[in-house]
Amino acid sequence: MSELRFLGVQHAGLANLNASFAAGTHVVVGSESDGSGRLIELGAGRLEPESGRVLLDGVAPWSHAQTRRRIAAVFASETLLPARDVAGAVGLSLRALGAARSARQVLDDAGLAHFADKRVSTLTPRETRAIALSLALSEPAPALLALHEPLSVVGIVSADFVLGTLSERSAKGAIVLCTASRLEDAARLGGSTSVLSHGAWHEPAFARPPLGSVALRVRTAEPRRLAARLSEAPDISGVEWPGGHELIVHGSELESLARSVVGNARAEAIRITALKAEEPSLDALAAARAGLAQATYERARGAGASAARQS
Amino acid sequence: MTGIWSGFAIARGRLRGPTAPLVLCLCCAGLFAIGVLERQSDAISAPDDALGGAVFGIALPLVAYLVSARTCAETRLDRSVDCVARYGVNRRAALCGVLLASALSSALAGALLTVSALLGAHAAHSPTLLADLRASVGIAVAAGTVYALYFGAASQLGKRGGGRKWALIVDFVLGAGSTALAVPWPRSHVRNLLGGVPAFELSQASAWVALALIAVACLTSSVVRTAE
Repeated sequence: MSELRFLGVQHAGLANLNASFAAGTHVVVGSESDGSGRLIELGAGRLEPESGRVLLDGVAPWSHAQTRRRIAAVFASETLLPARDVAGAVGLSLRALGAARSARQVLDDAGLAHFADKRVSTLTPRETRAIALSLALSEPAPALLALHEPLSVVGIVSADFVLGTLSERSAKGAIVLCTASRLEDAARLGGSTSVLSHGAWHEPAFARPPLGSVALRVRTAEPRRLAARLSEAPDISGVEWPGGHELIVHGSELESLARSVVGNARAEAIRITALKAEEPSLDALAAARAGLAQATYERARGAGASAARQS
Repeated sequence: MTGIWSGFAIARGRLRGPTAPLVLCLCCAGLFAIGVLERQSDAISAPDDALGGAVFGIALPLVAYLVSARTCAETRLDRSVDCVARYGVNRRAALCGVLLASALSSALAGALLTVSALLGAHAAHSPTLLADLRASVGIAVAAGTVYALYFGAASQLGKRGGGRKWALIVDFVLGAGSTALAVPWPRSHVRNLLGGVPAFELSQASAWVALALIAVACLTSSVVRTAE
């Protein structure tokens, strides 16, 4: 079983990162300024950590070519290999990988066949990332899939293709390490969720509670009747009625939550006039961050105290 | 072999486009014109003056510098192969591929620059033209190759390969002398091979050996300083 370990890694803002990722899906919530892009680059062996070690199955991918061959990655900033067109660039990458599949097949599988004859220089950064993602997802059996914001290219690549391939690779025993700056993306990617905040990593046990819920603001002429119906729906974790014609509906995943609200309203013939994702307030985010930091501090303190008792 | 091929392919891709051939054509035209002017000034010494001054003194090092910067994507040599290293290619092998493309391009450019200057410096049916071409093109190919490896190794210094620029300056300044200080730099030995003042009174045979040693040292240093 594969394992990716960060041992005391300090690199450009990442502060003493100690984390371990086994086979399965792992989502690290954090923006690029929090160090999520660096985390992926370090994990995939693109960067050498300034201090500490990054090991995939006990080997540092930075200095071991065979280990990097088992990694498929998408970074925050992508450039395709220099070639006349996209198919040529993907073909060069596949040849470097030693893969027998064709560039057009890789693009076609991801629904990107129309890019094949485009010049590389005409692609937008988002399109370039989408092509890099199609290449990464074409790897049949990687030990590690390290993907920076894989859902940010949805629209160019279909969400079903991305999520389906990721869950398939995860089921086959790969480590799927993704970053997401949006909570709803993290919820859609599934798996265990951890947080990277200002370069400090907070492990899943502490990160899960504040991230496990998303909310929808629903406007309707019949809030009481809709609230009664939604309170019995299994995929809705809570319904608030602050008064007026609005309801706040809580769930774990935004898209399925919206689908459930619409489905239940239709079943009761209740008209919905507006549906909007509820952004968490800055106070709530600050409180969540403070809580995470406090929890980490308490845990470290507890571990220190027990070590002192043992000695 | 995949690594060398991958490095060669990305370097070739980076050289693709109209700029490189255009710059080379302009340089060749300029050197031809300089050769013609030298011939009009002094027909006997024109080939030596054109080669020693304009071609090997200025144009060839500058073209090799530009080729090296372009093949390395204006960055360090080891970082320039990161784009293929992510696919499991050995960085050292890919780096050799980049250096191979850079050396072949610089050698070819050197040969074309030399031919252009000699065609301008010699009269149309000069009996010595062929002999001069034969001798000088060989030196140009060797000099182009050595300069490519020299700039490649120098680009391993500095965060963005700034060592390459310093290598050009140091070669211009220290390589122009004839003391022991000039020995480590390609310019002094190329000048010796062309019949100019030798560095540290080395023979022409020793200059070939010195160029070979500089090339091997630069290649070894580039490979050793790069992670797999």
